Amino acid sequence: MNPQGLVDGLIAGATIGLGAVGITLTYSILRFSNFAHGELISWGAYFALAVAGLLGAAFGFLTTPILPFSFGWTLPIAAIAAIALNAALALVVDTLLFSRLRARNSTVIIMVMASFGAALTLRNLLEFTFTGKPQYYTGALQIAIRLGGGIRATPDQLLSLVIALLVVSGVHLLLTRTAMGRAMRAVSENPQLADLAGVNVRQVIRIVWVLGAGLAAVAGVMAGLLIQIRPEMGLDLLLPLFAAAILGGIGSVPGAMLAGLIIGISEALAVAAVGAQWRAAVSFVILVAVLLVRPQGLFGRPE
Amino acid sequence: MTTEGLVAGYEDGLPIVRGVDFALGPEELVAVLGPNGAGKSTFVKAIAGLVPIHGGRVMVGSTDATFVPPHEKIRHGLAFVPQTENVFATLSIADNLRLAADILPKAERARQVDRVFNMFPDLADRSGRRAGALSGGQRQMLAIARALIVGPTVLILDEPSAGLSPKVVGEVFARLDDIKRSGVAIVLVEQNIKAALAVADRAVVLVDGQMRHEGTPDDLAHDPRIAELYLGVRRNRVAIPA
Repeated sequence: MNPQGLVDGLIAGATIGLGAVGITLTYSILRFSNFAHGELISWGAYFALAVAGLLGAAFGFLTTPILPFSFGWTLPIAAIAAIALNAALALVVDTLLFSRLRARNSTVIIMVMASFGAALTLRNLLEFTFTGKPQYYTGALQIAIRLGGGIRATPDQLLSLVIALLVVSGVHLLLTRTAMGRAMRAVSENPQLADLAGVNVRQVIRIVWVLGAGLAAVAGVMAGLLIQIRPEMGLDLLLPLFAAAILGGIGSVPGAMLAGLIIGISEALAVAAVGAQWRAAVSFVILVAVLLVRPQGLFGRPE
Repeated sequence: MTTEGLVAGYEDGLPIVRGVDFALGPEELVAVLGPNGAGKSTFVKAIAGLVPIHGGRVMVGSTDATFVPPHEKIRHGLAFVPQTENVFATLSIADNLRLAADILPKAERARQVDRVFNMFPDLADRSGRRAGALSGGQRQMLAIARALIVGPTVLILDEPSAGLSPKVVGEVFARLDDIKRSGVAIVLVEQNIKAALAVADRAVVLVDGQMRHEGTPDDLAHDPRIAELYLGVRRNRVAIPA
């Protein structure tokens, strides 16, 4: 395989992995597939665009690129704000929609259909607010640097990969080393028993929304920085996200990240081997293959 | 702990528990008996906050805990061990206990986990093992140990003998006496009448969601109405504790 393809796949896979971690967390705690997660990625990207724009207008000196990257301080600051705004958006959606359905003990299919509705609403709101025209955090062009072995990558791409790995490591530590992580794992396995053990299940659900939306915002900013910002960017990522969450094993954070990288590399391989028009089919094939051969995924436990 | 005229059920207008008055004294072990479908489990689940209460109240000490949510009940000293799925199978034994200890002040947590490990040395030896890998009896011990972490005043056990061999039931019930003597009052819902009456200080009999009989194990075991009509056993087959 072309080593450049491997690196391109890893970089694309980092964004998929981050989004898949959010999917796997919300699925394992809330127990339904949230098809609006892609829209949280888009909203995260647009929140950062809006805040960066405002900061740039107010403090022009912040737009000067932080070398060797293509962006100024406006983007890191805006990304942090986007995480908070996206978390607030997720809590609003949960309060207005999902928590009401949970209170009525709605079935999984109702929750899934509601998430489709939420996705449509969020995407159209985004298009109405920001238009469908592709946008960018920066107009600066970046020259890829040589990494040896014929591999080249831009500093923005390498930074995204490092940030994705750091964020996922942080989430993994949160889940395995902290009281909150223990409570999340307990709720994931048996919410009623967790309740009896003194865990505030509602609070855990809120934290999962905040965490999932925060990760979606980081993924959105990364996708926006490396490709472009469009209202459909999250929708386009949805199939790879679910494929990665299922391949990694529902509930497994390292599994989702690793699977995201595998899917990114597989897509890059497919593009090199059979053409870019088959890129989207790769996730679908992996998803079906995993469900047939190993439904619990790489790191999941059989039901 | 007391219940006063407790009415509870999954749907409003269809009560399963119908006006139960119940009292549990300090360091007392009361067995809740009755035929299948009598409402025993619903009664204790309502006390724990898992089944909606439509009337009456639940008092823990001087606190009205009727509508306190389940995760707050443990802070009021009321611990509940369900009949099935009563441990977190994917968590280690130590994490099952740490999870329960997480509601305590940080300085207390490790000390309480150690205290409970001392009470259940078999669990301490396997602390890193996944709870799902334990036998039925070990799981029941872990579930009880988890409930004791925060030092409750009332421990409610819903059919702890279910699915266990007679030998293991004996081992689990032998611990109840130690727990009671450590200052914890126990409500024991049981189908295994013989085992329950052997450890109980007092027993109540629920029929059709109402408390019909109450007395010492000796009284109930010799009451032909209980043995033959409600419990479905012959009088001479009920073992009387020595």
